[in-house]
Amino acid sequence: MLKLSSKLSSNTINHSQLLKNSINIVSKKSSYSTNDNSENLLKTPLYDIHVKLGATMVPFAGYSMPVLYKDQSHIQSHNWTRSNCGIFDVSHMLQHKISGPNTTNFLQKIVPTDLNSLKPFQNHLSVLLNNNGGIIDDTIITKHDDDSYYIVTNAGCREKDIKFIKNELKNFPNNDKIIHENFEGTLLAIQGPKSQEILSKFTNSNLNNLYFGNSRFIDLKGFSSSDKFHISRGGYTGEDGFEISIPNDQIGRDFFNALLEYDQIVKPIGLAARDSLRLEAGMCLYGHELNEDITPIEASLNWLVSKSRRDGEFANFNGSSKILNQINDNKSVKFKRVGIVSKGPSPRHGNKIFSFDDTSKEIGIVCSGSPSPSCGGNVAQVFLNKPFNKIGTKVKVEIRGKLRDAQVAKMPFYQPSYYKGE
Amino acid sequence: MFALTRNIRFTKQNFSSFKRLQSTFKLNPNSIVSTYSKSPIVKFTNEHEWISIHPDGTGFIGITNYAADALGDATFIELPTHQIGEDVKIGDTISSIESVKSASDIYSPVECKIIDVNQKLDDNPELLNVDPMGDGWIVKVEVTNNDSSELLDADKYEEFVKEE
Repeated sequence: MLKLSSKLSSNTINHSQLLKNSINIVSKKSSYSTNDNSENLLKTPLYDIHVKLGATMVPFAGYSMPVLYKDQSHIQSHNWTRSNCGIFDVSHMLQHKISGPNTTNFLQKIVPTDLNSLKPFQNHLSVLLNNNGGIIDDTIITKHDDDSYYIVTNAGCREKDIKFIKNELKNFPNNDKIIHENFEGTLLAIQGPKSQEILSKFTNSNLNNLYFGNSRFIDLKGFSSSDKFHISRGGYTGEDGFEISIPNDQIGRDFFNALLEYDQIVKPIGLAARDSLRLEAGMCLYGHELNEDITPIEASLNWLVSKSRRDGEFANFNGSSKILNQINDNKSVKFKRVGIVSKGPSPRHGNKIFSFDDTSKEIGIVCSGSPSPSCGGNVAQVFLNKPFNKIGTKVKVEIRGKLRDAQVAKMPFYQPSYYKGE
Repeated sequence: MFALTRNIRFTKQNFSSFKRLQSTFKLNPNSIVSTYSKSPIVKFTNEHEWISIHPDGTGFIGITNYAADALGDATFIELPTHQIGEDVKIGDTISSIESVKSASDIYSPVECKIIDVNQKLDDNPELLNVDPMGDGWIVKVEVTNNDSSELLDADKYEEFVKEE
């Protein structure tokens, strides 16, 4: 952290240092390691079903998770989600409930989002911030009522996030009535253009008027339960879709199985396609595009810092002085997250980027990259020094010891199709 | 080739994602890698390459079915077109295959001179999945040192894969 700050004040940036922390996180979180000592791994409520479906299970964030399912290649899984409906077990993610007087004020200390202007059952992408404006984690925050929120954070940051929130809460004045709880269960992402068609078969709720970024509690038909389940419209693929939280494990399993019966439309999709889908949609993966040394501004997530929180009494979130300074003084930002595209060998996490005209000059580093099933060629999200971050700028990426041509391109690479009304 | 094992571990149950001409570690009998001569010898490496060596010293090198399945959909192959005519040693990188998730280097199983590359793979990298031990061959070589004692025969390779 300190190293980075001092680097930023000079004109040279050690790009490898930028990813250093993130690589540590990745090695814990998302590397598909060969160590499948499954006894130490946690299982989601759907684990047995994945195994029965012939999924390849890998360790991910301390869980044994499906990366691919039998008889579906990575590209087939990816394309299926773009054209039909893919269902993803995301039960490993961490669900929070936080409520009680002063909760909004507390949350507004750790996130730069204007939560007062959110209406009940609206949600917003946000980031948990440390005092230097670095990102502890990215998160979806759903407001249920004034001072009552449902929050989902990353599995790979589970312990860190709990500790962070606990510690922030302890140091927050008037904290005595704020209750923070975590809960487990089945969390299922239903993604793709046919998601509503499928989900409608299971609920009496009219999904036509549930728009992107909104949530509600719905009934589920046929599971002998009068419970209502939280669904939010959105997801992590760039497609229309839903995320549904089912605290009861048996209902979670029954619902997952029931969805799979529509096998002409619904297929289970693993982590491999989840990553390529989000990458094309220009979405960040914590540990790749985001880490504790990167501010939301450097990560090109300026829109997460609400206008109303940029001055006055509400400009009081963690790291606000640095972040607001970066917004107000463009020159204080030395590098940005941008997209690049290329042909041939794909840029991958950690590849160095050099100036096209002066190939001795290192100007950035690849956060994530892969061939793009939906767009063709390769796509990558990278940190790139200014002024090389402008769209159309040619750069060189070092891949397997050779410099390869690439070009800065507009993100998202794949245009999302969210449901915002007829 | 298996830098890949660092990235994704594929279990045996996940075989058969692709419609395959051959299911075991045998060459496609109708492909040039078999038909080039009447009596090719087929050998394997524990990096999951195969080579068919013909009596006149010509060899074809590719990746095994197991490797193709583990790699997943091949999206791109970097062929050693610029190395045609060059001598390579055992273990030299002669190609790189990319899938959406990862990239894997292909190493030469023998000392040889590269005499041709399979240009079909440029436009159809999926051949590496469909027919990895036939029309998905990667390079054609002239074997310059015929010592293949370090290589595995089909049975030994199959045993090796079972243990992996």
